[in-house]
Amino acid sequence: MTGVDSAESVRSGANAPLLALRNVSKSFPGVRALDDVSVDLHGGEVHMLLGENGAGKSSLVKVLYGAYRADAGTILHEGRPVAIHRPSDARSLGIAVIFQEFSLVPFLDLAHNIFLGREPRHRLTRLIDHARMHRDARVALDKLGLDYDTRALPVYLGVAQQQMVEIAKALSQDARVLVMDEPTAALSDREADALFGVIHQLRGAGVAIAYISHRMKEVLALGDRVTVLRDGRRVATLLRGEASADQLIGMMIGRVVGAAGGVYRRQHFGQPGDVALEVRGLRTATGVNGVDLVVHAGEIVGLSGLVGAGRSEVARAVFGADAIVAGDVRLFGARVEGGPDRVAARGVALIPEDRKHEGLALKRSTQDNLLAASLWKFFPRGIYRMRAAVRHARGLIDRVRVVPAQPRRLARVLSGGNQQKVVIGKWLAADCRLFMFDEPTRGIDVGAKSEIFALIEDLVKRGAAVLLISSELSEIVHVCDRAYVMRAGRIAGELSRGELSEEAILRLAMHED
Amino acid sequence: MDARPVVRRTRPLPAIVPIGIVVVAAAMIAGHGFASPRNIANLGLQASILLMLAMPMTLIIMSEGLDLSAGAVLSLCSVVMALVLAAGHGLFAALAASLAVGLAFGLANGGLVALLGLPPFVVTLGTLGIAQGAALVLTDGNAVSGLGPQVAALYAGHVGGVPLPVIVALATWLVTHVLLYHTRFGAYVFAIGGNRDALVLAGVPAWAWHIAIYAFGGLVSGVAALLLTGRMNAAHPTVAIGMEFDAIAAVVLGGTSFERGDGRLLGTVLGVATITVLRNALDLVGIESSLQVVSIGLLIMVVIVIDSARRTWRAGLA
Repeated sequence: MTGVDSAESVRSGANAPLLALRNVSKSFPGVRALDDVSVDLHGGEVHMLLGENGAGKSSLVKVLYGAYRADAGTILHEGRPVAIHRPSDARSLGIAVIFQEFSLVPFLDLAHNIFLGREPRHRLTRLIDHARMHRDARVALDKLGLDYDTRALPVYLGVAQQQMVEIAKALSQDARVLVMDEPTAALSDREADALFGVIHQLRGAGVAIAYISHRMKEVLALGDRVTVLRDGRRVATLLRGEASADQLIGMMIGRVVGAAGGVYRRQHFGQPGDVALEVRGLRTATGVNGVDLVVHAGEIVGLSGLVGAGRSEVARAVFGADAIVAGDVRLFGARVEGGPDRVAARGVALIPEDRKHEGLALKRSTQDNLLAASLWKFFPRGIYRMRAAVRHARGLIDRVRVVPAQPRRLARVLSGGNQQKVVIGKWLAADCRLFMFDEPTRGIDVGAKSEIFALIEDLVKRGAAVLLISSELSEIVHVCDRAYVMRAGRIAGELSRGELSEEAILRLAMHED
Repeated sequence: MDARPVVRRTRPLPAIVPIGIVVVAAAMIAGHGFASPRNIANLGLQASILLMLAMPMTLIIMSEGLDLSAGAVLSLCSVVMALVLAAGHGLFAALAASLAVGLAFGLANGGLVALLGLPPFVVTLGTLGIAQGAALVLTDGNAVSGLGPQVAALYAGHVGGVPLPVIVALATWLVTHVLLYHTRFGAYVFAIGGNRDALVLAGVPAWAWHIAIYAFGGLVSGVAALLLTGRMNAAHPTVAIGMEFDAIAAVVLGGTSFERGDGRLLGTVLGVATITVLRNALDLVGIESSLQVVSIGLLIMVVIVIDSARRTWRAGLA
């Protein structure tokens, strides 16, 4: 055993862990979600799982709960190997999960929701015993100090209230192993405190708790042990107090920057020009809660933060796709009223994260897609000038380097990288001056990533302004002139070129005030 | 927003309530013998088959599904029942055959929707064609008669002055009510429409319950064939075609949504009552059937516009 595993041996000598993952791997096409991961969960401990976006935490939970089946490795329950192929297997082993995505049924009352799949029934009639179910639901809610009416419908509850019901639901299963996937993400401090109180009780009662959180304060305060995951691998398992917050963040990032190869490096930094985008005090119903930022012509400005921090929501609001509750958005010095069509007409492009559904017509040709945002140019007198269109499409294909250079190839059969180039080319054709990229390299291979960034750099050289949303910290660090980091719907800080580092970004993204 | 107390909120009454009252009032004012005892009994008989189709249709639509085949399957059940009776077999054999046909189509619909994940619209459009075609092939497109007196006697029967078909329909309502509000099956209907993943994560074989919803619909069609066949003491291969329109209309009028498992059975019953009164009153004043369909279409438009406007208004308040 290596040094970082000291915590592993401390307990495993005494008695077998309640639940143990041994050398578990899980792959998806192109991604190794879990790579030879081993984690022990002991009764009476809170085991924190820590990692960047995509480090493998959620995949781990899904394997534990039978939503995914591991490709390799074993799961031991009190020392005996068990098969968890579906959620009912996990339930019968006493494993309960508080999900990040809500698992409530909107038009079924709280009692039904809490006991979904475990409804108490009358012995004779086999009908649901409503009296008992509501009584038991009352007890489950009271444990968390919630005075909710058990006959209320989730559809009328706020996000935090739904999350609390979700927690009550998991607790009511009397689980021996309780997995919590970012349970406090939607909670206020008061509700989070109630949850922490219950966690202490459960720990005292011998329950094993696996807890995923991005809030460093919780990790340090609650965790008996911490397991750090990175790129699907377990980096270390540490006892409380063995590592500081900064050390943990270091382990989460860990990689030797640039050594992995293929990380694009910005070639040239120019002088920023006029203000292209100015956002002041932006609030939306989608969770943006007071954002100020500025993007100048000729610069690439990063927008970083953890998933759910509100980055995409800022871009959508700027683009007019989501309603703005408060605040001011100015494009090239002027306010724009109206939806995406009006914003796009001012020369703004949003290249969405989900390019397959929001950025491309998959069943149309490369050419059709490239010209989709600039079709008006080819109807000077209401008649389609096909030859001009084909010529223009060929020019774009050369410029964004779609391979193979066939205008009639269907968008569906292009690789992820080529699809992304087509989306970029589409907005190039529309003479845009402000480009907002949302995770432009997600699911794209390393070589194509560099080409995409070369294209983006080419845009700013020609005087465009770029807002780059990315979860890949190294991309933000190596490509951007400066970057904003978001946390919980707000800008947590701005980093200049000189201050930009992965540690600095994560520190802003994760630390509590 | 989260500070408000979590209490049971009474959901808004669907627009069908005031509109149903208006329709009934208009029918009574228009007269033509609408309120006569004879016509009231008639209303009950007219409503009974529609009520039976609309009960399972409510569950199907709540599960984010649809059953376009209901009318065609009912026709086929009726044809099969009539053929068995005409061959000299008893009523129980005829009912068993009808139930078997209904169940087979229900399982087929449910299986294709729940196991293969196919869109209910397309699946049930296909089974509509199959059921209709089978009914035509079995009868060469002609009515089946010479069934003997049993089924007609059943239809004409009374218990305590209430026509037997009405009792069968009310019993269907009662059974559906118990299923929806007092059994696991009912809770899973809400869950399949509202959040199917939640059900799967709760370790419940959602696919099986999903199939059961459609199977229930098929069985009810099998029973409803008794009433349809008894009404004329004959079966016609296309007699119930289009009845799914009225059934779906009744569900929609009753405030059940095609999304998120939002629905209520009582609303559907009111929808059935309104449609039946509307058609009956238009019959009495001599407006033909095709124009009646237009009027039901208009009614649906009015109700959904009102319901959606109120939803928007309430959302604005929240």
